[in-house]
Amino acid sequence: MKKLLILMMGIFVLILGACSSNTSEANDQEEASSGSASGKAEVLFWHAMSGELETALNKLVDEFNASHDNIEVTAIFQGTYEEALTKLNTVAGTEDAPTIMQTFEVGTKYMIDTGHIQPVQKYIDEEDYDTSQWEENISNYYSVNGEQYSMPFNSSTPVLIYNKDAFEAAGLDPEKAPMTYSELQEAAAKLTTDDQYGFSILNYGWFFEELVAVQGGLFVNGENGREGQATEAVFNSEEGVNVFNLIHAMYEDGTFYNAGQNWDDMRAAFQSGRIAMYLDSSAGVKSMIDNSPFEVGVSYLPVPDDTERQGVIIGGASLWMASAAEEAEQQAAWEFMEYLATPDVQANWHVDTGYFAINPAAYEEEVVKEQWEQYPQLKVTVDQLKETKATTATQGALISVFPEARQKVVNAMESLYQGADPQEALDRAVEETNQALEVNAKKSGN
Amino acid sequence: MNLAQREPSPFKTYDEPERRRWMSSPFLAGMLFLLPSLVLFGVFLFYPMMRTIYLSLYLIDTQGEPLVFVGVENFINLFQSSSFQTSAKATGLFVLYTVPIGLILALVLALLANEKVKGIGFFRTMFSSTMGMSVAASSVIWMFMYNPSIGIMNRLLSGIGMSEVQWLLDPQFALMSVAAATIWMNTGFTFLILLGGLQNIDQQLYESARVAGVSDWYKLRKITLPMLSPTLFFVTVVSLINSFQTFGQIDILTKGGPMESTNVIVYSIYKDAFINYNVGSASAQAVLLFFCILIVTVLQFKLTERKVHYQ
Repeated sequence: MKKLLILMMGIFVLILGACSSNTSEANDQEEASSGSASGKAEVLFWHAMSGELETALNKLVDEFNASHDNIEVTAIFQGTYEEALTKLNTVAGTEDAPTIMQTFEVGTKYMIDTGHIQPVQKYIDEEDYDTSQWEENISNYYSVNGEQYSMPFNSSTPVLIYNKDAFEAAGLDPEKAPMTYSELQEAAAKLTTDDQYGFSILNYGWFFEELVAVQGGLFVNGENGREGQATEAVFNSEEGVNVFNLIHAMYEDGTFYNAGQNWDDMRAAFQSGRIAMYLDSSAGVKSMIDNSPFEVGVSYLPVPDDTERQGVIIGGASLWMASAAEEAEQQAAWEFMEYLATPDVQANWHVDTGYFAINPAAYEEEVVKEQWEQYPQLKVTVDQLKETKATTATQGALISVFPEARQKVVNAMESLYQGADPQEALDRAVEETNQALEVNAKKSGN
Repeated sequence: MNLAQREPSPFKTYDEPERRRWMSSPFLAGMLFLLPSLVLFGVFLFYPMMRTIYLSLYLIDTQGEPLVFVGVENFINLFQSSSFQTSAKATGLFVLYTVPIGLILALVLALLANEKVKGIGFFRTMFSSTMGMSVAASSVIWMFMYNPSIGIMNRLLSGIGMSEVQWLLDPQFALMSVAAATIWMNTGFTFLILLGGLQNIDQQLYESARVAGVSDWYKLRKITLPMLSPTLFFVTVVSLINSFQTFGQIDILTKGGPMESTNVIVYSIYKDAFINYNVGSASAQAVLLFFCILIVTVLQFKLTERKVHYQ
């Protein structure tokens, strides 16, 4: 009995000891590696790229490490953007925080508010880095009051994707995609048959934001939160109602298909011929062309009749630098970021993933030209972005409660399929977003 | 009081009286044995629970640090929010949809599988096989079945000439669809426990019943169910708690949509804490859920335990 007791206690002590010694060992290792490398700067890079995207990213990191003797970048996948951000929360501002953090576009305000980040503007100024080589419409999103906070990295925009074969079968010109709402409604009516719907939009807030921005509409006040703190949502404006009216009218006509909230479901519906036109991210274009059993066309977002097209907001993510990292590490991180922005790296990244090149010089590279010859549709996505006018509407909204605001918009979209009035549905979403903004303002003490 | 005086002490090799008294105190020895589990529970259950209650009384910044003590304001906000009311309703309905049907289904299967016929092992394995499936894997399978454009459910419906249903996209059907998937997932576990309970029933009782020549229905009501009642009670409590805490299938199948019709409280907590960074509100919901489950479980013990027949 006594022996058993002692044995158990012994095991327990061992377990506890093992736990703590593990961590101290790990620390030793870390110290050893950063010390022994003798001046080799370590850059910890957290990202949210999974699947093929991760493979492409790791390729870039390996090439960088091979060509830079004094820097070692370690890329670690941390789950989705949301998950990665949650993990960052627990270590932000400490030594364990990553030097570089990839965060999605709607997390921009959130990252700024954490106070644990070093705007890359510092290094741009120090090195006189020429930011004009970047695609202005992309870098604009991540610059606030003229200061570049994070380094744009993977960017995408929404496009209209359509089934060319279905267009032909319906007697429409497959080379002429609908550009306005009335053209869209007409085409959708012709495309709708017993087992095919004309058009669909994923129930996802991003598409609504884009359809509002393309008309020049704002999402929140304070010029989309770009000039001062946004205090109220304004997307129940005429532009927002236009979008909701369109969905409402098309759904009532039976030409609009409710594809739910799941990207894969919507893509499956398109590939199986259930829907003939839908909105997707430009990053999904290439695999859609590869995997569809019919000819796929790509076009610009539609606008209401007689409305001037303003262009699109970029989605995707950017890279943030931690302020807690040591000077040498930050310098190394900046070098890595600079490397990522070079034309040939961006060209490969664009070809491998379908994300935009943040450096338009990449489009002159041979790999890109070859790719575009093979997939002329990819060029459409780039053109749409190039033609975008730089306004606060297309710069995108800057609020920290973005994920919550999107949920409210999605609820409102879903209520349309239950016969809700477009204006009322939007008003409710705005009201709920305002509440979230108010709660958040209280938190940040403003 | 002192065990050592009445029985030969297990620790008699120690001579020092001090040590001996300490080691042989049954309370301390007991605590020592409990120490490992107490530490684990403390670190992973009690501390987080206390922390949740603490956080629910504060205004929390987006990084999860408490800022100002606000008392019950988080709770008041919740009770006033229509979103929370929808969540509470969805949770209640979900429990109602899943627990009774799941239990009855598992009981029927267990009664069937309790018969001693050739090849019964195959059926027992089949009926309990859903236990071997993770929630994630089975949710993905159900997602494909419910898919409105390529799923089997709609093919079956159109096969018998009915119009198609958007299972997970129609607020009227979404919660029921998730509930159906959940019942399927949970049946394996409930079935296995109930079957174990059935096998433990003394065969003599059935033999006496046979001698008395009573009907099968009578045997079920007067022998099987009373003798099974401790097991039934256990699975009811466990299923109910499980059902209140459903998360995985909601996350994969509907993400709380459409129109929050499947936004059960645990999912709402997750969304508030990890997507919207409203840790205060999420903690308050967690505390409410805790007390809700506590009350339901206590009520269950109070109301039904009298009817449970322990041998």
